[in-house]
Amino acid sequence: MIPIEAVIVLGLLLFAIGFVGVVVRKNLVVMLMSLELLLNGANVILVGLGRRLDSPRGTIFAMFVIIMAVSEAAVGFALVLAYFRQKKSYDVDALDDLKG
Amino acid sequence: MITLAVFTFFAVLAVAGAVLVIVQKNVMHSVLYLAFTVLATAGVFFTLQAEYLGAIQILVYGGGIVVLYIFVIIIVNLKEVVPERRSLLPKLVLVAVPVAVGAEVAYLLLARGFPVAEAGGEGMGFETMAETLFGSYLFPFELASVLLLAVLVGAIIIARRKLIHDPD
Repeated sequence: MIPIEAVIVLGLLLFAIGFVGVVVRKNLVVMLMSLELLLNGANVILVGLGRRLDSPRGTIFAMFVIIMAVSEAAVGFALVLAYFRQKKSYDVDALDDLKG
Repeated sequence: MITLAVFTFFAVLAVAGAVLVIVQKNVMHSVLYLAFTVLATAGVFFTLQAEYLGAIQILVYGGGIVVLYIFVIIIVNLKEVVPERRSLLPKLVLVAVPVAVGAEVAYLLLARGFPVAEAGGEGMGFETMAETLFGSYLFPFELASVLLLAVLVGAIIIARRKLIHDPD
């Protein structure tokens, strides 16, 4: 039996690494990838708790998170393509047209 | 015991891959490490006896999202590596915030233990999962299909090259 603390620490680590990626990197594609890491960390915790509670709900919630992650990736990539067409760059700093 | 060893193995692989995703300069390398992390996470799901979710993770993430990333990188074909122009001090502060938050939660967790309610005893088998999914969670499930349809239409509209002037 895997201790629940180990599962939660793993999920937290993945979440923290994804968080660092989102706030530090400026490359739009790497930021989207870090978002996937964030969602993965949340999924690990959900599944671990479902296992601990001997309930199928953890898995079901994680499944909905995956559905959301797929939607986010698809729309995110459409936006990246539109962005790239406008700016010829991945860098989020290129998008400063609304700077006051 | 062996389960814990396998869990630790996949957990270390997942964390190492995740760190490599965010430190790589080359985007394509990042994508490959993301695939690595995703597959290691699927291994973690298998050790947690969520076989269905592990399979979904491999199919949807490993087979779908990672390939989508690779396609996008090939389509936009960015030759030059964008230099990250953030200086060291803001970068350190930005790294420190998530690390501090994660460390605090981990400390509280390890110091006090994680309070979990008594096991419900519903079981995690396929049959139980299917009955719960199509019983209690039928409405969110159907809503997810509407969401995916909206995403399909929205992604096509955002990503297409120019407006199509339909005579009708």
